[in-house]
Amino acid sequence: MGVSLSLPIPVIQALQVITVAGAAPGVSGVIAKVEARLQGRRGPRVLQPYYDLAKLLRKESLAPEGASWVFLAAPLAAFACYLTVPLLIPVLTSYPLPLGYMGDILGGGFILALASFLVATAAAETGSPYAQLGASRAKTFGAITEPVVLFVVFTVALLTGTDLPYALAATVRSSAAQIIRPAHLLAAAALLMVILSETARIPVETHTGTNEFGMIEEARPFEHSGPYYALLKWGSAAKQLILYTIFVNVFAAPWGLAASQQVGAVLLAIVALVGKAAALGLIIAVIDNSFAKLRLFKITEYASAAFLLAVLGVFTLYLGGG
Amino acid sequence: MSPVLVNPVLVSPVLVSPVLVNPVEAPSVYTGGANVIAVLILLAEFGMLRQALIRDQVRLYAVQSGLISVLAVIVGAVRDLPELYLLAALSAALKVVVIPLVLRRLLRGSHPGERGADPGDIAGSGGLGLATTVLVAIAVAAFGFFAAGRLPVAGGGAPATALSVSVSVAGVAFVLMIHRRDVISQAIGLFSLENGISLAALVVAASLPLILEVALLFDLLVAVIVFGLLIRIHRGRAESLSTTELTSLRG
Repeated sequence: MGVSLSLPIPVIQALQVITVAGAAPGVSGVIAKVEARLQGRRGPRVLQPYYDLAKLLRKESLAPEGASWVFLAAPLAAFACYLTVPLLIPVLTSYPLPLGYMGDILGGGFILALASFLVATAAAETGSPYAQLGASRAKTFGAITEPVVLFVVFTVALLTGTDLPYALAATVRSSAAQIIRPAHLLAAAALLMVILSETARIPVETHTGTNEFGMIEEARPFEHSGPYYALLKWGSAAKQLILYTIFVNVFAAPWGLAASQQVGAVLLAIVALVGKAAALGLIIAVIDNSFAKLRLFKITEYASAAFLLAVLGVFTLYLGGG
Repeated sequence: MSPVLVNPVLVSPVLVSPVLVNPVEAPSVYTGGANVIAVLILLAEFGMLRQALIRDQVRLYAVQSGLISVLAVIVGAVRDLPELYLLAALSAALKVVVIPLVLRRLLRGSHPGERGADPGDIAGSGGLGLATTVLVAIAVAAFGFFAAGRLPVAGGGAPATALSVSVSVAGVAFVLMIHRRDVISQAIGLFSLENGISLAALVVAASLPLILEVALLFDLLVAVIVFGLLIRIHRGRAESLSTTELTSLRG
């Protein structure tokens, strides 16, 4: 190999989706493993989420009485949403792929929000109090974190003059001064706080808890079973990896991406992405183990801290010194 | 060159061109770094708004003072002002070590038995909910930012953005003093207000005569002692650290 075995653009485009969908359960597995080790437990295998998905896909599925077709369609539609987003963000390449122009950061955010809305609708269909409680809470707290995301997008737009994620990644790569500027650091920190809350991690929610009273996102799929439940679990793992990818490949470490269409470069980019996501997962496992879950009514305080970071980012930019 | 991204597929089928962007000009690494430290000082001030324990609040004050010293060292190194090293060392010794020690010593006696509650816990002493306070403080900080941003200041010290940040620090310190009802927070608010002023001094007049700076620090020390006495007397009379009971005037 080595000479010029280059992949056609559509193949790379498809590889983005396949990488995210394929690696997502593995990243969840790594986090679960690290978290268990930090707590002195042996923990599940790293590949356990894959076995779980395989098991669930073989099981029969039941729907509650009175639930309409929305209940069964939502997991499929939500999963489709999660597979669309990787087309819009820099997953493997440092150069924008054609479908990357379909939407900017806001576009990606809308699709993620649509998926979350569909899952919440399905939960509301069931009549189960816990699923409905989860859906209602997820929407409530989602609305509080939304302004943070908006201000992060403003910061990106002010930094680059556009809000395509590829542009910010290129800006960050361009010089050390672009990394150390306060606006960039503040926006990245705010985004990380939002990611913690969106992926159901401490301090907002215990990821693997069985305590229904504290549940937000995790309570929503209570009534789904079999392949539908598998799709929901897979979808939330994929959402987690998508958010990690945005954080790592756009804000924190946009290095190791393929700059050409060479097979070797693209393969290396896949390995780099999984490695970087696992490294971020490691950090998040440490955060998970170092803080206590916030009480439900304290989550607004967490959101206000994230909002503060994002707003200060915009402020410093307006003064020209950010 | 147009600022839009060039689609590599349209440009050439084989070679992929890098993304063309025209990012906003970044400040230099020194300016960016100094601004980051200034913003961290502001974040420490916001952190004080949220702290629920006196111990943590004092610790946060020490961290904030330490950041000021670090910034002074950086400015001194880059702008070639060796007297700033001395100032940084003095201010670190006083504000990172001595004042937190004195405050902790003062508070040591205030432990058990007072109405069952842990007097170290000052979480409920705020006049508003925490999220609301943070939003109010953001508004105050914004005012400070933009008001100072209009000033045509080009000092020889730290970058000008730090001046805006310092005004915000002062504003948020006022919010802290106004909304908390315990004496410790009010004292810490006053001390951290001085930190904001030190930050402003670094921007406007980095080579302020050393004797003046030392006088300011000495002033702070006196304030600490006076506040310490007030805290002691107040606790002795009211058996709590809260100022809510100070409702009547007496000769």
